[in-house]
Amino acid sequence: MLKYIGRRILLLLPVLIGVSFIVFTLMYITPGDPAAMQLGEQATEREILQLREQMGLDDPFIVQYGRFARGVFTQMDFGRSYRTNALVFNELLSRFPTTLTLAATGVIVAVVIGIPVGIISATKQYSLFDNSAMMFALLGVSMPNFFQGLVAILIFSVGLGWFPSSGYATPMHMILPALTIGTSSAAMITRMTRSSMLEVIRQDYIRTARAKGQKESKVINRHALKNALIPVVTVIGLQFGYLLGGAVLTETVFSINGIGLLMVNSIRMRDLPMVQGGVLFIALTFSVINLAVDILYGFIDPRIKAQYK
Amino acid sequence: MNSKKIALLLAVLLMFAVFAIGCGDEASTDTLIVAQNSDADSLDPHATNDQASSRVIKQIYQSLLDQNEDMELIPGLAEEWEQVDELTFEFTLREGVLFHNGEELTASDVEFTLLRALESPDVGHIVGAIDPDNFEIIDDYTIRISTLEPFAPILAHLAHPATSILNQAAVEEFGDDYGENPVGTGPFMLESWTRGSELNLERFEDFHGESARMERVRFRNIQEDGNRTIELETGEIHIAYDILPSDISRIEGNDELQLARDLNFSTVYLGFNAEKEPFDDVRVRQAINYAIDVDSIINSVMEGSGEVATGPIGPMVWASNDDLEPYGHDLDRARELMEEAGYGDGFSTTIWTNDNQLRQDIAQIAQSQLAEIGIDIEIEVLEWGAYLENTAAGEHDMFILGWVTVTGDPDYGLYALFHSEQFGAAGNRTFYSNDRVDELLAQGRRSADPDVREEAYLEVQEIVRDEAPWLFLNTGEDRTGLRANVSGFRNHPAGHHPLWNVIVE
Repeated sequence: MLKYIGRRILLLLPVLIGVSFIVFTLMYITPGDPAAMQLGEQATEREILQLREQMGLDDPFIVQYGRFARGVFTQMDFGRSYRTNALVFNELLSRFPTTLTLAATGVIVAVVIGIPVGIISATKQYSLFDNSAMMFALLGVSMPNFFQGLVAILIFSVGLGWFPSSGYATPMHMILPALTIGTSSAAMITRMTRSSMLEVIRQDYIRTARAKGQKESKVINRHALKNALIPVVTVIGLQFGYLLGGAVLTETVFSINGIGLLMVNSIRMRDLPMVQGGVLFIALTFSVINLAVDILYGFIDPRIKAQYK
Repeated sequence: MNSKKIALLLAVLLMFAVFAIGCGDEASTDTLIVAQNSDADSLDPHATNDQASSRVIKQIYQSLLDQNEDMELIPGLAEEWEQVDELTFEFTLREGVLFHNGEELTASDVEFTLLRALESPDVGHIVGAIDPDNFEIIDDYTIRISTLEPFAPILAHLAHPATSILNQAAVEEFGDDYGENPVGTGPFMLESWTRGSELNLERFEDFHGESARMERVRFRNIQEDGNRTIELETGEIHIAYDILPSDISRIEGNDELQLARDLNFSTVYLGFNAEKEPFDDVRVRQAINYAIDVDSIINSVMEGSGEVATGPIGPMVWASNDDLEPYGHDLDRARELMEEAGYGDGFSTTIWTNDNQLRQDIAQIAQSQLAEIGIDIEIEVLEWGAYLENTAAGEHDMFILGWVTVTGDPDYGLYALFHSEQFGAAGNRTFYSNDRVDELLAQGRRSADPDVREEAYLEVQEIVRDEAPWLFLNTGEDRTGLRANVSGFRNHPAGHHPLWNVIVE
């Protein structure tokens, strides 16, 4: 098991190098001069040239990439933001707890709602509960997060005055965004749990368990659920990884100062060091989550654990 | 995994989440909370020139001179100033002015600051007239500053936040991180800054002038425009900058709120390439000014924001010409002029804009309205860098841009845009040239006599209005939403509103 984890971690390095190269190339060939973007409408040509030189933008592609890669992979130095001159690594690190909190609370909301509803829907297929749950799930998957967020703000902040409408200072600030994110993820998890459970429930060993007189709750929770969880865990992992990359729209609507908002603003301003650092960071968290999910499979299904040897 | 384990896992995750959320501090009543649509980039006045930063920098630093909300020059760090000769001004600094780090302001800080500003790609153009080799420090509190050529607007430039005076020791101490550790002489000093989220200022108790009325100011970054209005309504902030035109009625209809709405220094225009056919013919340019219903553009696209521009600079700028008449919407006159110019059957051309929704909307309205006098227009949206480059190279027909006369002096809003030596990237992207205008602009820049200057600028505006290198569109406005219990606030037409006189009652 440890050997497997070690091998997976070693494999991260080429992935990250590949990601860094692709991002750098993409940003390099994207039209838009970072110097002109930063200086705005009233800049003179001389000032733009001066800033380009300061930023090292006149160097050839490979020199620029080399400088970046050497900093990142040998000294963990992601450079400084073009726009704010702040250290990229510090910026990312300072925003990570916010994004992590939002992602974690969102996923918790999603799991707490999604799995039980999915199970009940599967066991009571085509019941009123199932049909209405599936309708809400469809709504949740289809409704864009930013719209849901705005509606939530209008109802719960402006109308009822229960929660603050934006920013992030207290736990109260996190409730609406977490619900916004959580409910749409919950919809996906509900649908996955339901379909996976339905498949498992039809298996012979479930019939066997019932035939030997096992209590229904035990049949569902122990025999069915555990085997149905693999695809659900995959979805949860993917959702979590995706949210850690920044729930951009939700962060924008609620003015939550996380990684997603930072990335969007940096891309818009062609803040290359910030974008590269951010994407690498997201790639890293995503890979780590993926690894965690793979390890979790082993606990859920011993057959998979056996393959890790 | 059995259900107990799942429950346990969930419980642990929940505890972790609650822990991670932590506890924030509640706003105390002595804190003024202001929301703007972006976080400051940097608090180093030489490292940035964006509005969000300037609005904070204004509270932390002071310049040699200041401009009040009516754009009159008032003493800043310089108590007095006088012109020594055509090129040189002598400034007498206030004595006993302390920086936030406890150092005393001396003339050498002024020289250091202005030399550093000259090196900056962000603000170099604001101090560009200053001669770097000719500073003369007479004593600790007296300094002479010279310009390379006679440059009358220099006093207005020295009142701009980009010329805020820095402390040499502090700049050298913090190096690359100075932008996060600003040291000024202003009424507020930086307390803490969570990038992208909020920035806290506290009153500087050793401030040399009258102390700020609030103990703290918090700038919050609320990017979503509608959310600033919502937070204002729910009372979580006291002041919201840049209110959307569509939210005006919501604020005006709410007894708990007030709206400060004033014209500012910004202008939006549609420029013609006056060197290229058919726009080299003044009659074509005038015809387009007659053919487009500017009122309808302002009312639809800009939702009634600001005013119709009648000339190249708005009424808030000093020496603006208030006698200019707008062209008005007159299709017959437009057709007549087109006929006279030999384009009775119209022509095909393009409008360029960058990726800016407002400008694209304007282009579309212009497209449909100009079709009525036979001008067939294709709209091209260019990426910002390419847009600047290609308009500077004169490859365009028509284009939409804005300009802000940040110093409030007409030189800033006219010289770069209409002087024939400023073709291309320097600012004159219409390639408009008129000898009389050149002469008057030079006169306005050189003359020390305000009456002579005013006369010159009034005439320039008249000529430019008549020769129409632009379709004059809009003079912008600042819309600031305030809670009813906030007093002492006034919009500053340059956008960086002073907050030290503001109080929450």
